[in-house]
Amino acid sequence: MHLVINWIAFSEEIFVTIYRANIFFKLTVHFQVCRRTIYSVLVIPISNSSRAGSFCMSPNSMSSASAQFATSRRIGIYEPNRQISMWGDSFKADSSQNTGASTIVEADAKHDNRLGDIPLESPGPSKKYDQEANKPADKVLRRLAQNREAARKSRLRKKAYVQQLESSRLKLSQLEQELEHAKQQGVYVGGHLGDSSLGLSGTVNSGVAAFEMEYGHWVEEQNRQTGELRAALQAHVSDIELRMLVESGMSHYDNLFHIKAIAAKSDVFYLMSGMWKTPAERFFLWIGGFRPSELLKVLSPQLEPLTEQQVVAVCNLQQSSQQAEDALSQGMDKLQQTLAETLTSDPLGASGVATYMGQMANAMGKLEGLVNFVNQADHLRQQTLQQMYKILTTRQAARGLLVLGDYFQRLRALSSLWTARPHEPA
Amino acid sequence: MKQAIPYSSGTAWAPRSDDGGAINGGRQPVEPTGMAARCAASGGDIRRMVEENRVVVVGRRGCCMVHVVRSLLLGQGVNPTVCEVGEDADEAALIGELPTEMVARCGGDGGAHLRRQGMALPAVFVGGRLVGGLDRLMAVHISGELVPILKQAGALWL
Repeated sequence: MHLVINWIAFSEEIFVTIYRANIFFKLTVHFQVCRRTIYSVLVIPISNSSRAGSFCMSPNSMSSASAQFATSRRIGIYEPNRQISMWGDSFKADSSQNTGASTIVEADAKHDNRLGDIPLESPGPSKKYDQEANKPADKVLRRLAQNREAARKSRLRKKAYVQQLESSRLKLSQLEQELEHAKQQGVYVGGHLGDSSLGLSGTVNSGVAAFEMEYGHWVEEQNRQTGELRAALQAHVSDIELRMLVESGMSHYDNLFHIKAIAAKSDVFYLMSGMWKTPAERFFLWIGGFRPSELLKVLSPQLEPLTEQQVVAVCNLQQSSQQAEDALSQGMDKLQQTLAETLTSDPLGASGVATYMGQMANAMGKLEGLVNFVNQADHLRQQTLQQMYKILTTRQAARGLLVLGDYFQRLRALSSLWTARPHEPA
Repeated sequence: MKQAIPYSSGTAWAPRSDDGGAINGGRQPVEPTGMAARCAASGGDIRRMVEENRVVVVGRRGCCMVHVVRSLLLGQGVNPTVCEVGEDADEAALIGELPTEMVARCGGDGGAHLRRQGMALPAVFVGGRLVGGLDRLMAVHISGELVPILKQAGALWL
């Protein structure tokens, strides 16, 4: 630790400059002037920087003196190695009242030539100047330190704020994506909000997303065709034009079964859940779609007048479709039964991992059979529609397609009303 | 060790003669009665079954579609003989062992494409001839052609 204390003692005050303190230390300065003033003990902590501090104290302000430090850049750095006692001696040597700074400086100069540039401070007025020069210097130094501190704090705050902004931005873009997706689903499933997106699990695979999009297009086209049929029938257009409309309507249904077949390969449970349909449609769900026999029940009363032959044929068709439905339903029950049997075993039994894995593999095979069921059900729907088309005349078929299209439109509208109904949130 | 089975398997599986023939009195309500005859998994066996019985259903063991076919046929009033093949039986190999006239579908092609890609299981044979898989059966049923086919084969009389 190097410490140099230069003090220029005046009758009024002591000016102490401390240079190059490297470590924390307490300085006890005890001055005694042979004159009347006794300077009390002063304890000064010095921070471990290589700055020198200077402070100024006067006997009058002794009690309230506080250590002040400022950089010594302006003041200069002195080489250390002075002993206090030496100065005391030299001080005592010049105890004349008028000596002032210069005397001491000279004394210093005499005693220690090693000192470098000592600021020659003239006595009297220069004393005051020193005082004031150092007071503002202190203040400035203090303010500089405070500024640094404040700057540092504000930099930290800014960093934290920027980080927060970044994370919020990411979150926002994520939410926007989700919203877009949910909106799409809402739009394509007959305009009802969000129900389907809530039903989906977190990972929506691309097959499902593609199907939803295509189904949305399908519904739009279906509505358009229904409107066209309505207009055509009201305008009593010719049979040839009607035939074209009917055929495009039939092939439109074929499209539906086609995209459903693709979706079944991708995610059969999604199809079977009916989440791609509106709620009211879902109520009538049977193996991933509408029941053919229900369809016929909707159609038949609207198709009159029918010839006797047609009546018989429709009746037979109704019966056949019902039987086929029942057969498929029984097959589904059997599938459920065998799946349950495959999965049940004694949990406390000593069946090894191999048995478990075997069971699982078995069950997996059973589940894959579901795709077949959905395909067969769709095939039945298609066959029923085709058979109706064969039985009916062109005009009757056009009317039939209109009835069907209108019926499903109403179901979807009902779903929208239901979803939008005012009710207390759970 | 008792296994928990949610559905009661208590429906009576009364043994019947494996004559895939007719039940007098026309149609009957659909019931899962009737023993499914099990035969070994070779083409020769199938051929024999098809020749001997009027209505035969060939399917894989444990396949639930076989159950659908059976239910549908039972609903029409016939009791089909079920022939189960092993789960890894090769469809193409099976069909290769059957004579052409068996495979030539009624109203269909000469069964050439079937020989190429193999028989879709489950498959239905009526009167010694292949009708087809489940889709074909459904289509035939919906269009009302199934009952005439059954009657023609003598599997069903009024």
